[in-house]
Amino acid sequence: MGADLEALRAVIVDAFPSSRGEIAFGELTIHATPEIVHDLLAWARDDERVRCELLADLSGVHWPAGDNEIERQPATTGWPAYRLERDRGVIEVNYILRSLTHNHAFRVSVAVPDDAPRLPTATDLWLTANFHEREVYDFFGVEFTGHPNLTRILMPDDWVGHPHRKDYPLGGVDIPYDNDKFIPSPDTRGLRQVVD
Amino acid sequence: MGLEEKLPSGILLTNLEKMVNYSRSMSLWPATFGLACCAIEMMATGGPRHDIARFGMEVFRASPRQADLMIVAGRVSNKMAPILRRIYDQMSDPKWVLSMGVCATSGGMFNNYALVQGVDHIVPVDMYVPGCPPRPEMLLDGILKLHEKIRNETFAEQGSK
Amino acid sequence: MVEQRSPDRPDTLVDDDLFVEGADWESVVDAVGDDILTVNMGPQHPSTHGVLRLVLQLDGEVVQQVDPVIGYLHTGIEKSAEYRTWVQGTTFFTRMDYLSPFFNECAFSLGVERLLGIEAPARAQAIRVILMEFNRIASHLVWVATGGMELGAVSVMTYGFREREHILDLFESQTGLRMNHAYIRPGGVAMDVTDDFEERCLALCDLLTEKLGEYEDLLLENPIWNGRLRGVGVITVEDCLRFGVTGPLLRAAGSDWDLRKAQPYCGYEQYDFDVPTDDAGDSFSRFLVRMEEMRQSMRIIRQALERLPDGPIMVDDKRIAWPSQQSLGADGIGNDPAYIQHIMGESMEALINHFKLVTQGFTVPAGQVYQPVESPRGELGYAITSIGTNRPYRVHVREPSFVNLQATNHMCAGQLVADVVAVVASIDPVMGGVDR
Repeated sequence: MGADLEALRAVIVDAFPSSRGEIAFGELTIHATPEIVHDLLAWARDDERVRCELLADLSGVHWPAGDNEIERQPATTGWPAYRLERDRGVIEVNYILRSLTHNHAFRVSVAVPDDAPRLPTATDLWLTANFHEREVYDFFGVEFTGHPNLTRILMPDDWVGHPHRKDYPLGGVDIPYDNDKFIPSPDTRGLRQVVD
Repeated sequence: MGLEEKLPSGILLTNLEKMVNYSRSMSLWPATFGLACCAIEMMATGGPRHDIARFGMEVFRASPRQADLMIVAGRVSNKMAPILRRIYDQMSDPKWVLSMGVCATSGGMFNNYALVQGVDHIVPVDMYVPGCPPRPEMLLDGILKLHEKIRNETFAEQGSK
Repeated sequence: MVEQRSPDRPDTLVDDDLFVEGADWESVVDAVGDDILTVNMGPQHPSTHGVLRLVLQLDGEVVQQVDPVIGYLHTGIEKSAEYRTWVQGTTFFTRMDYLSPFFNECAFSLGVERLLGIEAPARAQAIRVILMEFNRIASHLVWVATGGMELGAVSVMTYGFREREHILDLFESQTGLRMNHAYIRPGGVAMDVTDDFEERCLALCDLLTEKLGEYEDLLLENPIWNGRLRGVGVITVEDCLRFGVTGPLLRAAGSDWDLRKAQPYCGYEQYDFDVPTDDAGDSFSRFLVRMEEMRQSMRIIRQALERLPDGPIMVDDKRIAWPSQQSLGADGIGNDPAYIQHIMGESMEALINHFKLVTQGFTVPAGQVYQPVESPRGELGYAITSIGTNRPYRVHVREPSFVNLQATNHMCAGQLVADVVAVVASIDPVMGGVDR
């Protein structure tokens, strides 16, 4: 498996010299910039040697600027202390691509600044990106340009804030419902377009 | 003693309130309102082993208008809360609410932004069943206790809800 | 169309009403042809598998577009897990897709184990496989039960829940709970199986083999079941991949993609089993595939029981292994008395270790992993990010129900309203997993 990943990394980095490949925990991660990510994904889908038919997963991780948000706790088990690598105020979007033909999978990781996160959509490559991108938008506020219907998916439409960002508190949200008062559904928008 | 002695056999005297409440408690119709894990246990309660039909409750009504018991089975999210309230409002009086499981009762282990911390913030609850999820036996126990409660209610209490 | 005048208002033409007189049916159809009716189905609906909401656009009886609206069960599990230790994470994730708790626990534990660079002992792996496969059967049974109920076959529902109770009895005897077990932990499993485990499993397999035949007798030739499912919700392999659809839906379309074969975990490579496929890609072939999957699961269970190795059920590393030893007593499952004696009376160091591990947990080296397993609904993946603390930095779950649901529109468009119920039932989404 390890040799395969090395070969795969060489193929990808060859085609996209500005990307950087990294192998850890038996997984290949390709770090790409927002400018090339769409080309990289399209190429990874169509190239014979890579051939990723399936966009397995698309998720976000928020790395806020500074280290005030992350409570570091002293290691209790003797592993070396870890220096936070990515604290630059970014949202990292991870695409997991999977090839059924070659039976391999790798991650494409893109970092976008968390004050104006914007990425090109992947819905034109895989329709499965539709819900995933809406989820990342809902939870992190990443705007996917070209997405046919970028609205909140899991939170109510009138929700304020993006709950999975690190600066969003876990709880403490007021419960906006009174005991005996009827509250109309917040869901008053029109029909949305599903890509097909 | 008075009237009873003059009655022919086979006739019992009671008051209307008790009679009506007895009938109500013996044929509660729950609304189909499954939310999460507890809904699976609620369905298991309706299944052959636990057989909720023994208590006259096998008719899970799909329409809230025909139901008089709402079993809130599972976690209530902020997005679901207005809908839950609307379904409760659609049910015809008198109606009862049974909060099944810790999530519906208090938010349970999910004390976070997404969940309503207890369904009693939205609708009045008559019976709380603990557990995560409660076993079917626990749900049945809660239902029997609710029957007991209904039998002892007055019309005035039922009207004031 | 004949011009009609209202009897009480003869001067006005009634142009809103349509009067049908035999031969002008065509023009009536033309007149109403433009009317797209929007129907809201759910979130409280008996046939939508929980709190799924579907917005249908109907042209008469024909579905033009189906628009799934989700989020009515959003629980914030991923965010909550960031505030708890790694072991507590299993307690959260087991409640995610509540019909396949063992798969969630196992995928999370495998991911954490990869970050830690450890592997659970062989016995723990075999126990995981046995319980996961029983869980797959239980999940498919609920699918048959609820799917049958939604299509009007109520007897199937009682059958499915009847057999599921037997499987839950086995789970309860081993883990203490019917659902939401938190039994598979990073490093192994929480406690060893009971002495009669093998005997119980085999008896259960025999029972299920017999009962599965009963289902097939009931449904395979049933004209209603056939009529409702055959040719309904067809999807091809190419479309499955475009929509990211995996699991029984992909296999029913003709691909033999199964992560248990393609990227084995928990020692699945040792077991000899087939991946059932079908080529029609409709709801009926999904039924056939799921029935066969249950049989194959039992094959795996029998093999795993045969070679269930002896040995520990948790890694040896005292820095990771959950310290408390649990055992089954008269009052249920609890801490082993001998272990309590050890930490309370004999070893101060053991008490300190116990206390630290239980309150603070262990730390996990920094890094990112994506761990997929083949759940009853498809590829269940855990994308775990650690920064070297005792809590996950971020866990994202690739839920198969969430992804598969996107194909609803593709599978329903052009079919009748009644088929939407059949299609959604055949996708088998679990809303706890969809909304997380």
